[in-house]
Amino acid sequence: MNSLEIINLNVYYGNRHVIKGINLKIPQKVVFAIIGPSGSGKSTLLRAINRLIELDEDAKVEGDVRLFKKSIYEMDPREVRRRIGMVFQQPNPFPHMSIYDNVALGPRLNKLVRNKEELDYLVEWALKKAALWDEVKDRLGDLASKLSGGQQQRLCIARALALKPDVLLLDEPTSALDPVSTAKIENLLLELKKSYTVVIVTHRIQQAARIGDYTAFLLDGKLVEVGDTAQIFVNPKDRRTEAYITGRFG
Amino acid sequence: MIIRDKFKIALIPFSALVFGIFALILIIFFANSIQIFEKEGLAIYTTSRWLASEDPSLEFYGVLPAIYGSLYTSGIAILIALPLSVAYSVFVVDYAPRRIKEWLIIATDIMTGLPTIIYGIWGAFFLVPFVKKYLMEPLYENFSFIPLFSYPPSTGHSFLSGGILLGIMVTPFAAAIIREAYRTIPYTYREAVYALGATKYEATRVLIGYIKPAILAGLVLAFGRAIGETVAVSLVIGNTFNISPSLFAPGYTISSLIANQFGNAFIYEHMVSALFAAGLSLSFIGLAVNLLVFRMLRRWEHARS
Ligand SMILES: Nc1ncnc2c1ncn2[C@@H]1O[C@H](COP(=O)(O)OP(=O)(O)OP(=O)(O)O)[C@@H](O)[C@H]1O
Ligand SMILES: [Mg+2]
Repeated sequence: MNSLEIINLNVYYGNRHVIKGINLKIPQKVVFAIIGPSGSGKSTLLRAINRLIELDEDAKVEGDVRLFKKSIYEMDPREVRRRIGMVFQQPNPFPHMSIYDNVALGPRLNKLVRNKEELDYLVEWALKKAALWDEVKDRLGDLASKLSGGQQQRLCIARALALKPDVLLLDEPTSALDPVSTAKIENLLLELKKSYTVVIVTHRIQQAARIGDYTAFLLDGKLVEVGDTAQIFVNPKDRRTEAYITGRFG
Repeated sequence: MIIRDKFKIALIPFSALVFGIFALILIIFFANSIQIFEKEGLAIYTTSRWLASEDPSLEFYGVLPAIYGSLYTSGIAILIALPLSVAYSVFVVDYAPRRIKEWLIIATDIMTGLPTIIYGIWGAFFLVPFVKKYLMEPLYENFSFIPLFSYPPSTGHSFLSGGILLGIMVTPFAAAIIREAYRTIPYTYREAVYALGATKYEATRVLIGYIKPAILAGLVLAFGRAIGETVAVSLVIGNTFNISPSLFAPGYTISSLIANQFGNAFIYEHMVSALFAAGLSLSFIGLAVNLLVFRMLRRWEHARS
């Protein structure tokens, strides 16, 4: 079964048409990479998938997104966002909160736990999943802003995982990080796909090649091509895809 | 590099000037207070008698009630300003339609600029009778056994009237700082809260936590305005030397004491010095508040869950 199905999706900012009739099926337990030049609508697409785009009053969405066959527009937006976690381009843990509280915030808001023990357990679980536990287990009370950029980004992954989502969306999660932190997060994502569907937007074509099971190429709001990552990179069907991955534009 | 260094050097005299003026003010206050310290010692701050006399040997000044009144009314003002300015900021930034938003901002800006005598007259003619009739009298009738409400509201001039008026006067100052801080929270944090499934109310709560230092800064500014306010308070507080826990009792504040007494202080031998010492106590209070805030900020930085 597909975890996400995007059906004839259109997004407008005011009267600017930004996502143009996109159809996509994203299977379960894979890393699904979305590539495309700046301004092609990658971030907008992600925000439409978890209804975060509704924070922007100018944005208008047409079409449908289905999460395990159910339309997200028939669900409470809070439920959608709980089940479709998001990690942003700039690491954005709440700097005024401790490491613990950052991870605990989601479960607290959504009343996922009944007591402190359960919460402690969940926080530890999420931090372990995000491969951060060993580095922070002795300083859970420190402010999140004291962590390095790479650690902060893994904290954001832990914060998203603590909600026990079905899908994890990541919008260029490594673009602000150094190569070592990037490698850590890439390995982490490969580990996470065993239990989650991971959708990653990336600027770096090599990143999609390294970790994506599938790759979709977006250009000017349209889906140009989607397929097995190997096929897209070795044998692209569309001239524009080939041009993009060989670095001849964008 | 060279240009920047020159610029830096050019800045030194200005910084020195600011600091120098500040030091000069303190020195003047100290110098003029010495006379009363020599005569009374710390009794100027710890006793409650205010005795002006033509005969210098009978003169005695104790400003404790005024210090008490300053802290009491400013405390009330802060308790009022905190919820009002935070609620205002959230409303203006998150909820108000664009049109109303602009008007609200203009209105508070005007409020910060109004001459304080305007507040004073409004307070004396409208606020005091209003508070007396709708707050003090019902509370006194039903709850006079609680010390806070134990004083019979005779004229309505009281700590409460002073505190409320000050609260109204200083809220726009706190509100301007808090509103700007709330408005400029990076969008990424807003997105992050909502991405965790927060409702609008929950998101607001988290984001208010993010601007806690700015809220504190706004309140410190408000407290400074409140404790320094003279004319308006003196029109509604009753100008009576009195230390009472009751909100309804009349009182005095340091600033209104100085404003009321300075005109005739020169007739007496020691009163001018006593007033300088009273003023000096305001700098001590200011210093104490700043130290407290500094410690709070430090604590937040080392927050533990
Ligand atoms: N909030 C907004 N209001 C109006 N237009 C927007 C908004 N956000 C994005 N856009 C426009 O929509 C288009 C797609 O933007 P989007 O951020 O989705 O691109 P992107 O592929 O993520 O680019 P990048 O790789 O630079 O992050 C761009 O032309 C952008 O200018
Ligand atoms: Mg983007």
